Formats: sequence, structure tokens, C-alpha cells
Amino acid sequence: MREIHSSFVRPVLMQFFDEPKHWNENEVKVGRAWRLDELRIKSNKELHQLWFILLKERNMLMTMEHECNDKMEIFPSPERIDKVKISMENLETVVRERNKAYHLLETGETGERPRREVTNAFGLRGYYKSCEHVLPAFMNTKWIKSRQLTHGGRAVHKFLLKYREKLYNAKRKSKNRSRNEVMMILRRNPNFDLSVLRRQFPDVDVDKLVNEDKTRGHYVPKVDV
Amino acid sequence: MSTRWYPIYQRGNPQLRVFLPNFWMKLVRPQEEQPANVVTFAVSTEMTKHDVKNYLEKIYKLPVVEVRTRIALGETKRDQTYGYVTKKDDVKYAYVTMPKTESFTFPDLFSNRAENQEKEGKSLDESKDGFRKFLDRNKKRPGTPGWYSI
Repeated sequence: MREIHSSFVRPVLMQFFDEPKHWNENEVKVGRAWRLDELRIKSNKELHQLWFILLKERNMLMTMEHECNDKMEIFPSPERIDKVKISMENLETVVRERNKAYHLLETGETGERPRREVTNAFGLRGYYKSCEHVLPAFMNTKWIKSRQLTHGGRAVHKFLLKYREKLYNAKRKSKNRSRNEVMMILRRNPNFDLSVLRRQFPDVDVDKLVNEDKTRGHYVPKVDV
Repeated sequence: MSTRWYPIYQRGNPQLRVFLPNFWMKLVRPQEEQPANVVTFAVSTEMTKHDVKNYLEKIYKLPVVEVRTRIALGETKRDQTYGYVTKKDDVKYAYVTMPKTESFTFPDLFSNRAENQEKEGKSLDESKDGFRKFLDRNKKRPGTPGWYSI
């Protein structure tokens, strides 16, 4: 009986579901995602319309996936969600490109959200995304008192020393590892192409390693050839 | 995107407009029995009641009377062997009330699944039969490719 009265909202809410003919399919055939080059030739209005089509499609697919998972059924062609996601990402890239170009032309700035480098209480640097505030910074005394802008003291100094040592050790070990790898390659393959090694390990001085004792293999070197 | 980081509210117009909203909404089967004019949605956690209302009215043209929301805590589960705890994401549910005259029941999507599977089973049997016939025919001439004779 309910179905008879719900003539108005039912078609609206059925937009959240796939077409009934796809409900019992094991596979739904669809095209590919929108590419950047295809989106670049569209007007702003067309892109705006396409965004909402994609948004509705994503809602529909997510609804269907949720219901399929609930009922322990297989969701047909789950790659559709990825295709919509790729399309939306591409569309956003195109809009951002246009936004940037417009802002650069009009104001000389990119129009992206501004961010700046800040140092926290541990002396580590990070980025802070700026946002609008009701009060300007110099008037907000409560905030000025609460924040810790400086870093210092013995504990922080000690921490930074050890932290940097850790970073340095990681760097040193990776350097040694690649050096040893080159030496082992040269030991096992005496006629290895050195240009390949140079390209593969740009940090290693290959020409110096060739004359190392470790690079010589366990065989009698040919003297007169 | 510049329309998505919200500036502070200021009185008067023009007010903030989001040109490319990236909120999602899922229509879900209600967990408890609801009145006929109430629909349950799972929505992006950052959506407010006003967002839900505007989303449905502007994008889907659905008449909305009232929106109530709650955030359901994601399930935590302890790993049996290693003992670490994993947690599923929190979900925001929106209970949207439509006008009294409207009603909506969640459709049954998988009523014809069994029939369909039967059909597929039949086609599978047919192809199995075909292969058996092919084997029978080629008993005396093993290794003959399928295209060799009709």
C-alpha cells in the first residue's frame, strides 16, 4: 500500500540505487574514467555539471556496495568506484589549474591555501596551514600566553642531538650498504658494465672501488691478454 | 580547494558557497524500524545537519522537514595472535524526515538472485556437456586441436 502513496519521493530516492536491471548482474559493463585532456577542453559550467553527476554516481555506487556487503552478496564491478574517483580527481586538478591561472593573472599569487614553516617545542620543523581568525594574532593575548613558540633547554638539546645522530646513522648505513653492494657485484661479475653501475648508484665512487682489494674475485687474474 | 576551507562567518551577503562539494551520502537500510517518512543515510563525518539538508534539497531536490544525526563509534577488535587493537572508522548517520504525506521503503535488491544463479548454473552445465562431447569425439585421435573438425 505504501508504494502507491510514495509516488513523489520514490524516484528521487531511487537515484541512490543502480538501475533495477543491474541488481542481479554479476558484471556491469562501463566505460573508462575521464581523462585530464578531455576535461581541459570543457567549459567551467560543463565541469560543474559533470562534478554533480559524478557525485551522484559515487553516492549510488557506495550505497550499492554497502547494501551488498550487508546482504553478503558480491558487489558487481567494484572498479566503477575507482573510475569515478579518478574522474573526480582529474576534474579537481583541472579546476585548480584554472583557479591558479586566474589568481596569478589578477593578484600575482597562486590562490592556494597559504602555509608557513614553524618549529614546535621539540625543535622539529613542520608546516602550518594558515586559516582565518576572528582576532588578529597580536590582539589575542590568551593565545599568545598559551602557545610555546621557543624551543630550547637541556632536554630538547639532548633529544635533538640523538635524533640527528639517528638520522646520520641511517644515512651512513645506507651509503655503506650501497658501497658494499657495488663491491659484491664487481667481485662476482668482473666484466660488469661500469656505466650501468654509475647510473644505478650515483652516490658511489665506482672508479675508486674497481681497484679495491675486496672487489677482486677468488680466481687467478689473467695477466697477458 | 579554495572553496572548501571555510572562512570565518560574517554577517550579510554574499555568504559562503561551496562549488565542488566532496561530501558523500549513502542510503542505508534502517537498523531499527522507522516511521514511513524517515530515511536513514550514512554521511561524511564532517557534515552538519544543515549540510545534509542543503545537500538533499539542492542536489537531489528532496523535500526535507528535519534532520537528526548521530556518530556511531567504529568497532574495536583485538587481534587473536598478536593482541593489538584495530578500530573501524566512525560513521555519521543522518535520520532525514520527509513531509508526512511521503513514504519510502528500502527496496529488496536481491530477490531475483537465486533465479539468476540457476540460469548461470545451467549455462555452466551446458558448456561442461559440450566439452565432454568434444572429448568423446576425439578419443581416437588425441591431441587434435578444437578447430580441426566440426
